[in-house]
Amino acid sequence: MSATSPTVVYVPRDSAARSVGADEVADRIALAAAERHRDVRIVRNGSRGLLWLEPMVEVVTAGGRVAYGPVTPDDAESLVDVGMLDGADNELSLGVTDEIEWLRSQQRLMFRRVGVIDPLSLEEYEANGGGAGLRRALAMSPAEVVTEVIDSGLRGRGGAGFPAGVKWRTALDTDADVKYVCCNADEGDSGTFADRMLMEGDPFTLVEGMLICGYAVGATHGFVYVRSEYPDAIATLNSAIEILYARGWLGEHVLGSDAEFDLTVRVGAGAYICGEETSMLESLEGRRGEIRVKPPIPAIRGLFGRPTVVNNVLTLGSVPAILAGSAAAYAEHGVDRSLGTQVFQLAGNIARGGVVETSFGITLGELVLGYGGGTRTGRPVRAVQVGGPLGAYLPADRFDLPMAYESFAAAGAMVGHGGIVVFDDSVDMAQQARFAMEFCAEESCGKCTPCRVGAVRGVEVIDRIVADVDRDLNLVLLGDLCEVMTEGSLCAMGGLTPMPVRSALEHFPEDFSRGPALVRPVAPAEGGPR
Amino acid sequence: MSLLKEPDYGTPARAGEASVQVEVDGRCVMVPEGTSVMRAAALAGIDIPKLCATDSLEAFGSCRMCLVEVDGGRGTPASCTTPVASGMVVRTGTPKLEKLRRSTMELYMSDHPLDCITGSGSGRCDLHDLADRVGLYHMRYGQQGVNHLHEEPDSSNPYFDFDQTKCIVCSRCVRACSEIQGTFALTISGRGFDSSVAAGANETFMESECVSCGACVQACPTDALQERTIVELGMPTRTVLTTCAYCGVGCSFKAELKGDDVVRMVPHKDGGANEGHSCVKGRFAFGYANHPDRVLKPLVRESIADEWREAEWDEAIGLVARRMREIQAEHGRGSIGGITSSRCTNEEVYVVQKMVRAAFGNNNVDTCARVCHSPTGYGLKQTFGTSAGTQDFKSVDQADVIVVIGANPTDGHPVFASRMKRRLRAGATLIVVDPRRIDLVRTPHVEAAYHLQLAPGTNVAVVNAFAHVAVTEELFAADFVAERCEGFEEWAEFIARPENSPEAVEAITGVPADQLRAAARLYATGPNSAIYYGLGVTEHSQGSTMVMGMANLAMATGNVGREGVGVSPLRGQNNVQGSCDMGSFPHELPGYRHVSDDTVRGQFEELWGTTILSEPGLRIPNMFDAALDGTFKALYVQGEDIAQSDPNITHVHAALAAMDLVVVQDLFLNETSKFAHVLLPATSFLEKDGTFTNAERRINRVRPVVGPKTGKHEWEIVCDIAQAMGYDMHYDSTSQIMDEIAATTPTFAGVSFNLLDEVGSVQWPCNETAPLGTPTMHVDGFVRGKGLFVETPYVPTKERSTRRFPLILTTGRILSQYNVGAQTRRTANVAWHPEDILEIHPHDAEDRGIEDGDQVTLASRVGETVLRAKIADRMPVGVVYTTFHHPVTGANVVTTEHSDWATNCPEYKVTAVQVGLRRSMHASREVAEQVPTALLSD
Amino acid sequence: MDTPSVVRLANDIADQFSHRPEPAAVEAVADHVRKFWDPRMREQLMALARDGHVDLQPLALRAARQLQ
Repeated sequence: MSATSPTVVYVPRDSAARSVGADEVADRIALAAAERHRDVRIVRNGSRGLLWLEPMVEVVTAGGRVAYGPVTPDDAESLVDVGMLDGADNELSLGVTDEIEWLRSQQRLMFRRVGVIDPLSLEEYEANGGGAGLRRALAMSPAEVVTEVIDSGLRGRGGAGFPAGVKWRTALDTDADVKYVCCNADEGDSGTFADRMLMEGDPFTLVEGMLICGYAVGATHGFVYVRSEYPDAIATLNSAIEILYARGWLGEHVLGSDAEFDLTVRVGAGAYICGEETSMLESLEGRRGEIRVKPPIPAIRGLFGRPTVVNNVLTLGSVPAILAGSAAAYAEHGVDRSLGTQVFQLAGNIARGGVVETSFGITLGELVLGYGGGTRTGRPVRAVQVGGPLGAYLPADRFDLPMAYESFAAAGAMVGHGGIVVFDDSVDMAQQARFAMEFCAEESCGKCTPCRVGAVRGVEVIDRIVADVDRDLNLVLLGDLCEVMTEGSLCAMGGLTPMPVRSALEHFPEDFSRGPALVRPVAPAEGGPR
Repeated sequence: MSLLKEPDYGTPARAGEASVQVEVDGRCVMVPEGTSVMRAAALAGIDIPKLCATDSLEAFGSCRMCLVEVDGGRGTPASCTTPVASGMVVRTGTPKLEKLRRSTMELYMSDHPLDCITGSGSGRCDLHDLADRVGLYHMRYGQQGVNHLHEEPDSSNPYFDFDQTKCIVCSRCVRACSEIQGTFALTISGRGFDSSVAAGANETFMESECVSCGACVQACPTDALQERTIVELGMPTRTVLTTCAYCGVGCSFKAELKGDDVVRMVPHKDGGANEGHSCVKGRFAFGYANHPDRVLKPLVRESIADEWREAEWDEAIGLVARRMREIQAEHGRGSIGGITSSRCTNEEVYVVQKMVRAAFGNNNVDTCARVCHSPTGYGLKQTFGTSAGTQDFKSVDQADVIVVIGANPTDGHPVFASRMKRRLRAGATLIVVDPRRIDLVRTPHVEAAYHLQLAPGTNVAVVNAFAHVAVTEELFAADFVAERCEGFEEWAEFIARPENSPEAVEAITGVPADQLRAAARLYATGPNSAIYYGLGVTEHSQGSTMVMGMANLAMATGNVGREGVGVSPLRGQNNVQGSCDMGSFPHELPGYRHVSDDTVRGQFEELWGTTILSEPGLRIPNMFDAALDGTFKALYVQGEDIAQSDPNITHVHAALAAMDLVVVQDLFLNETSKFAHVLLPATSFLEKDGTFTNAERRINRVRPVVGPKTGKHEWEIVCDIAQAMGYDMHYDSTSQIMDEIAATTPTFAGVSFNLLDEVGSVQWPCNETAPLGTPTMHVDGFVRGKGLFVETPYVPTKERSTRRFPLILTTGRILSQYNVGAQTRRTANVAWHPEDILEIHPHDAEDRGIEDGDQVTLASRVGETVLRAKIADRMPVGVVYTTFHHPVTGANVVTTEHSDWATNCPEYKVTAVQVGLRRSMHASREVAEQVPTALLSD
Repeated sequence: MDTPSVVRLANDIADQFSHRPEPAAVEAVADHVRKFWDPRMREQLMALARDGHVDLQPLALRAARQLQ
C-alpha cells in the first residue's frame, strides 16, 4: 500500500454484525491501527450474509478484499499485529472475499452491493451499477416499464407470489388524482431477515425500485412501512432518503425528469398482521391494523382509497436489477413460473446461517445441508419450516424438493418470504403445531371468526390430543378446524395457520400420540374467564 | 299488524347502470353491476346465512357464514364481499359449504351462552336461529376453554344494555356508529380473541361520545346490545308503522308492541326521511306518553285564581262554546281567536283553522310556526313561489358544497345530520356560517373548509357578500338566470355595489373578507351547492330578508331545481311545514292562498257553507297587543306553551291575564295553563291518527298505537266545540279530513290515506301531474313562474349591545332535549342534559371573574335569570349562548319584542345582555323561583 | 305611555324598503301592511298617522297615510 492512501477496512454496520460486537471491533481496529501509526479508513458496510462469520472484517489489498471472521473485539489488536491490514493470513483469515465458495456460488442480483459498498455512499452505489435501472426506466414509457416487469416473471416475494407486473399494470390502468407505492417492510416471519439486510446494507436499491415502480404506475408518493423492531433499518433508510432528496433522486424532478416522487418511512407498531397488505394500509391510514376485504384490490382502491401498489422489500428490490439488465436476462434464472432469484434465509438450528441469493430451483437439501451445513448442534435435521411461522414443516426426506412456488404448493408447503428454519431431532412437532395455533391466536387481528376463535380453540384441542383426552374425537375436530380456518379465514393469517399444523400431523404423527407421559408437561386448558 | 320483519338483503343496494345476470342455485336474477352475490341471492329469494352482514352497512366479510362456491372460481369466497360478474354461477348450499358453516358456527357457540335464548334474551338472537339452520346440534369444543362468558354488562345507558357475553364481535355496532351515525364512538379494542366492542377509550357507553342514537342496538344480531324494555316487557308481538313526533326530520318508526304497551320504537328501513336511522329522542324518549303528569280528563275553573276541577267532556266543550259566543256577543266577532300547534297532525291543525274561520267567523288564527319558520314561508314564497324547502333529504347525497347557516344539525336534526356527515366524509365540502363553532365544524372525519364566525344579526350582510362575489367575479349562471328568473338586472346592480363586498361587510360581520370570498367562490362553483338553514336564519329582525337573500344566491348560481342543490329549511318541530300548509296563518287559507283571493275564498265558503273574511286576522304577537288594548278577549291554544315559548314573557303573561277566556289543549299542565280557564286534555303521538309533514314536504302517516287515553281525539274536540257554537262540523274519521284537504288544496290533490298506506309517504305537491309527489321542486320552472330576485339591503337590528348590556345572547338546542322540554324532561333523556348552560368565551368570563361551573346572572333590558356558566372557546368574544330546554332557565324573560319585519317572527337569536357572577346562593334561588318557566319555541 | 306596537312594526317594515325610490317604497310598505295586518291594527296605524305620531319614521308615515 502506498503511504499516502489509508488502508480501507470494512466492518459491517448490519445489526446482525453489531449484535455480536461489530461496533467495538471497528473501534478496536481503529485504535490498534492508530497506536501503530497505520493510516486506516474504516468503512461500515452491510453484511455479506455469512452470519456465522460475523463480525466479518474485510481489508482492501492489491489482491482484492480479504476477509477475516468471526472477529471479536479482543482479536482486533492481535489481528493488526499479525498483518491483517496487509491481507496476511492467520487463523481467522477467510481468504479473498470474492473467492469464498459460499458467496461465489450464489447469483446475487439484488444483493450484489450488499456488504460490498458503504450503504450510504451514492458514489459507490452508482459505481457498482446502482441507478442504471432507474435511468433506463425513465427513458422508457411507463407502460413499457410495466411490460418489462411482467416479462421478467417477477412475482411478489412477500409470500403470495402474485405477478408484480400484473399488479403494476392494474394500478397504471386505474385513473386517479393520486397513486401510491407502499413497500411492505414489516418483516415479521420467523427466520427472515433479508428485508432488513437490504435496507441496512443497500437502501438505495430499495428506493430505486420504488422510484421505478412510481414512475411505471404514475404514483407520486411512496411509503416504506418498517417494523419498529428495525431501528437501524429505519435510520439507514431515513438517511438514504435525505441523501436522495439532496441529490435530486427524490422530489419534484426525479433525476431531472418530469417524474415526481416523495418517499416517507412509517414505523409499524409491532403487529404481525400489519405485514398483511390490507392491514398495513389500514395502519398507514392511522387505523387499527385489521384486514380489509378484497375486492376492491389495493391496486384499484388502496391507501386512502387510491390505487396503490403494495410490494415487499425483496420484490421492489429486485426491480432495479431487472431494469438495469433486461426482462429476458432475469427470466433466464429460475424454473417453471418461478423466475429470477430469491434471497433465501437460513436460520434456526443451522451451522451456517445467512442469506443465499440464488435462482429458484435449488433444492431444499442444497440449501440446508449444502450452504447451511446441517444443524449447529450437530444432530440430524428432523424438520425444516419454510416460509415463516405459517409455513409447512418438511421432513429431511423432502430435501429433494426444488425451491419454487409450484413444487412447494404441490407438496402442501410454501416458499413464502424465503425463510428456512431448521430443527434437529430433539424437536417435539406436536408442540410446534401447538405453537402455530398459539402464534395465530397471539397475532390474529380478530376480524374473522375462524382465525379469532379458531386459533384459541386450536391450542386447546392440540393440548387435549397430546394429553390423550378423547384423542380420536379431537383429531377429527382438529381436522375440521384446520379445514374451516383454511377455507374460511379472511386472510392468509388464519388461512395458513393450519399449514404447519397439518404438515406436522402428516409427517410427524408419532409426536401427537406419544401419550401424556412421554411429552413434556402441558399446562391444562385454561378455563373460565380470561 | 303482526310483528313486521323487514327483509334484509345483506348488503346495500348498488346503483350500477349496467345490469348483470347471475345464476344462484339454479335461479337467474338480473342485478345492477356492483351488487354483491349475497344481495343478488336474496333478490332471487335465497337467504344465504349471515351474521356480520346487514343491508344498512357496507359489507365487512368477517363472520364467514356466507361463504359460497362459484363455478370456475377458486375457494369459497364470502358472498357479501364478492361482487357479481356476468354469467356467474353461484352455489350456496354444497355439502362443503354446509360443513364450513357448521364448523364456523361451532366456533361461535364455543364462546356464547348456550342458554341466551331461554334466559332474559329476546329470542331475537340470530346466532341461535342460524345454529339451528346450519344444523349445529352438538358443540364439540365444550366451554371449558378461554371465553368471555363472565364479562360484566355495561348498563350505563338508561335505555339499553351492552352484554359482552353475548357479543360475537361482528362489528355491526361499530360500523353502524361510524357509517350510519357518524359519531365513531364505538371501536373494537384489543385484537385476536381479546377483540371486544368498546365505547370511547374503554369507557362506559355513557362516559363515551355515544349519542344514544340506537343504531348499534338496531344493528346487533344478538342480544348483546338490547333495549332494556325487552327485558322488562318481553318481546313485542305486533307492529304499528308511525312517525316520530319530535323534530322536523319526520322519521318513520315501527312501534313494536306487546298488548297495548310500546316495547320499543325501531326506525323503519323504508322510512323516506330516515331510511332506518334514528336519534335518542325518537328511538327512546317516548315514555312521556305514559307519564303520570298526563292530564286525561278535562279541567275547568271560573277564574285563574281558582283550583282546577275535573269535568266531563260535554261540560267542558259546552263551557268553551258558550263563553266564546258570549265574548263575541259582547266584544265583537274579532275578539276571539285560536293558535294551532306544529306538533299536532295536519288534520288536527286543519280543523282548528277551520273552526276559527268558519265557527269563530274571523281570521284570527296563527300557529307556533310564527315564532320559528314564518320567515321561511314568506321569503321562499316571494322568490320561488312556494313556502317550502326545495329538496328532499336524499338530495344531500348529490351535493358537492354544503352550506349550513344558522343551524346545528347534529343536535337539532340528528338523523339528517348523519346523512349529511356521510356525504361530507365521502368528499363534499362544508361551509358553516354560525357565530358558534357548532360540532359539525370539526367532528370525526368531517371538517368545515370554512367556518364563517359572523356576529349575530349580520346574516344578510354575509349572504349579500356571497352574492356580490358570484356576480362581480362573473361566477353566476347566466343561462339559468336568463331562462328561469326575473329581476336579475336590477338585483345584480344592487348586489354589485361596493357596500355589499366582502371587504366592506367585514367590519359589520367580523368575517375576514378573504375567507368569505373564498367560501363564496366555492359555493358558486359547486358544481352542486346546497344551502341548509335553521332558526339562526329566521329568528332575526331580518329573518325574511335573509331567506330571500339565500334564494337570490341559489338562483343566481343556478343552484335550484335539481338534486344536490337548493335552499332547505331544517324545521324545528315535527309538523311546522304541515301546520303552515294547513292554512294556519291569519292571512292565508290552506295551500298558502291569500284570504283576499275571491276565487279561493269562494271555494271554501261553498264547501264550508259560511262566509270567510277577506282581511287578514291577528298574528300571535298582535293578539297579545290586542288583548292588552282590550279588543281581544279569548284564545284557544292547541298544544303550544306560549307562556313559556314566546319572547318578552312578562308582556305575554300580562296579555294572557287580560283575557276573559283561555282554553288550552295539551298533554300536561304548563305555563300557559296557569292563565287558562279550560284545559282540554290532548293525545300523544302514540294515540293520534293522521299525518305529519316534515321539512322536506313529506307527508307521513301517524297511526295510533292505542286509542286516545283521554277518550276523545283532538280533532273531535274541535269539531264538538264548533258544533256547540252552532257551526256544523263533522267528520267520521281523519281520512275524511285529509280528503277535504285534498279536495280544496291543489298541492294536496292526490293525497289520501289510501295512497299513503300504499306507498308509505309522498312529498307535496302531489296531484295529477305528480301522482307520487315531488321530491325536488322547481325542476322545470319556478312555482311562481319565474324566480324573482328581491333586493335585500342589510339593515342592522335595533337590538344593540350597549355599555349596560355589552354581550349578545344567542340560543340553540341540544341533542337529547327537545324544545321546551315538556316531553324529553319527562323521560330518561334528562341523564344527558340536567340543566341549561350558558356558554361564554374565556375572555368574557375572565373579565367578569367567572369560572367554569359558576352560577351567573343573565340580564337584558326586559328581564333577568340565573344559570350555570360553561367557559367555551367555541363562542366568539362578546357572544354568549344557551339552550332553552329547562323551565328554571327562563330565557324568554330576557328576550325582547324585536321581530322579523315581515312576519313578526321574534328575534330570539340576538339579545343584548349582561352576565355577572351571582352574588349569593340565596339570591339565585329567589330568582330561579320567581322567574316563570320561559322557554323558546321552534 | 309606551309607543304603540304598530309604530315599531310599521317602522321595521319601512326600514326594509327605504332603499327604494319613492313612490315605490311607499307603495311597498303600504302593500305589506294591507296584506298582512289585521284591520284593527291598520286603523290604529292610520289614526296615529293622522295625528302625525312623532315616532313614525317618514316613510312609514307616508305609507300609513296612503292606506287611507
